[in-house]
Amino acid sequence: MEKGHGVYSARSRVLRGVVWILMVFLAFLTIFPVLYIVFGSFKQNAELLVGGTNMLPVKWVLTSYIDAWKQANFAIYTVNSIFLATGVMIISLLNSTMAGYVFSRRQFKGKELLYSLFVMFMFINVGSVSIRPLFELAVKIKMNKSLWSVVFISAGTGQATYIFLCRGFVNSLPRELDEAAKIDGCSFFQVYYLIILPLLKPVMATIALLSFRQGWNEYILPLVFTMTNDKLRPLTVGVNMLKNAGDGAAAWNIMFAGATIAIVPMLVIYCIFSRYFMSGMTTGAVKG
Amino acid sequence: MGMKQNKKRVRFTKDSAATALMLTPSVLFLAVCSIYPFIWIFRYVCYDYNGFTANYTGTRNLMRMMNDKAFWGSVIHTFEYALYKLVFIIPLALVIAVLLNAKMRGSNVLRGIYFMPTIISTSISGMIFSFIFATKNGILNGVLMSLNLIQSPVKWLTGMDWVMVAVTIMAVWGGFGNYMLYFTTGINSIAEDVYESAKIDGANTTQTFFRITLPMLSPVLKVVLMLAITGAFKDYEAIMVLSKGGPGNRSMVMFLYIYNLIFGTPNSTTQAQIGYGALLSVMAAFIVGIVTAIYMFVSRKLDDVV
Repeated sequence: MEKGHGVYSARSRVLRGVVWILMVFLAFLTIFPVLYIVFGSFKQNAELLVGGTNMLPVKWVLTSYIDAWKQANFAIYTVNSIFLATGVMIISLLNSTMAGYVFSRRQFKGKELLYSLFVMFMFINVGSVSIRPLFELAVKIKMNKSLWSVVFISAGTGQATYIFLCRGFVNSLPRELDEAAKIDGCSFFQVYYLIILPLLKPVMATIALLSFRQGWNEYILPLVFTMTNDKLRPLTVGVNMLKNAGDGAAAWNIMFAGATIAIVPMLVIYCIFSRYFMSGMTTGAVKG
Repeated sequence: MGMKQNKKRVRFTKDSAATALMLTPSVLFLAVCSIYPFIWIFRYVCYDYNGFTANYTGTRNLMRMMNDKAFWGSVIHTFEYALYKLVFIIPLALVIAVLLNAKMRGSNVLRGIYFMPTIISTSISGMIFSFIFATKNGILNGVLMSLNLIQSPVKWLTGMDWVMVAVTIMAVWGGFGNYMLYFTTGINSIAEDVYESAKIDGANTTQTFFRITLPMLSPVLKVVLMLAITGAFKDYEAIMVLSKGGPGNRSMVMFLYIYNLIFGTPNSTTQAQIGYGALLSVMAAFIVGIVTAIYMFVSRKLDDVV
């Protein structure tokens, strides 16, 4: 009996070890494309064009980055990406906290209808076609000359999830807080600004991260809006334009460097705040 | 008394104004970014519109859709893609979530790594994989050749038989961490004492998984499957970068086909066909709706049976 138990547990220990090795291998496969592109960006173009099985560069060089920065406008693309991501983040934060607060605390005519419209249009997805009318609208009101239109549209199409997150969070705050502040003479807006907003910090952190990522990773939308204007392109579009440029083979190293510049900032943010990302993704999906 | 009421009314209207102002941005966004494009699509369904001039063509777009082999091909490819993606991604995500739940060394780090691809722009990951899958100098062929698993380079992105494999690998890589996390949340919500009592009753790991975890996870599983199905039907960004729908439309999915109609393919001289694209968008949204409805119906029926 005793012996049998011992054999079983030894077998299960081996099994656990095997499982663990498989899991680590899977983690390696998952991280491999990222390592490949990051290490590859330090290779010489000739080495990239030969291919082979080496992940690490034979000779470490920085020429790809220098070329990307000087020849391929990557300085401008980076600035545009930062602008786009920050813009989407700030607008999403302002918009979703205000709307979430109002939806949670205020009664008004047509509230249910309005709320169900938000829910409905979260699920109706007609794909890229909806960018076309927005693009034509932007051209008509002459907003296609800056990235602001892209910022607004990105924040606008992504707003529903963030509003639901805020509304849920405000719902969980006791109403007595509002009442007390009102008795002290706070107006509706002051309650939001002085009482609710400071308490919303955790959910705001999640929204800030998710919306920043959304803006940074946006592709089709800025692609359409900057079709004829290279100076407005964010990194995602700029890098892929190089790929489509035709002489693709020649510029592998620049594309590697560009892709690295496009993913590393997000990876660094993720390493620091991974917990917020994960909690945000699940609550967003469940609540939405 | 009158004064007091007056004051109250002033405050009331002031608060109402504040409410309206605070709601304005979100309502404007909803109207401009969601409702307006939706109505706009229906306006052009029966038109031939190239971005400059629009001509009413009656049912010609509809007729063209009926006979458009490329479009229906792309619909079939979408189903094919969704099937491949789900078949691999859901079991993988579920198994990993369960395994990570059993305390093992570095499980937090592992989880962080598995989730990482979801924070990378799909356009960039499409590009990275186009390098990895490159026929001549891609690292995948390099590794496979040096391991003697293949004799000659596999045409991952230019071979009719291989492109869907490549697309599926990329999709699974980019998405399984997300679904793993949903499952993890679901597993965490199962009470610990259920597992305790199963252990006392002598259930082994396999039994615990099939008799406890899976049944108790079924509500979560249903939601996740739903998200996964609708998500898979909408994917096209990464495919657009990886294979551009080629070779010979082999990896063309319906939303990519529509994108090409509405905005024109790069390096081509054909004009945008927005009216026709709008009609196809409606059709595509309809197809996704039908699939979702069927899924909901089936999952409810299964509920009655089990």
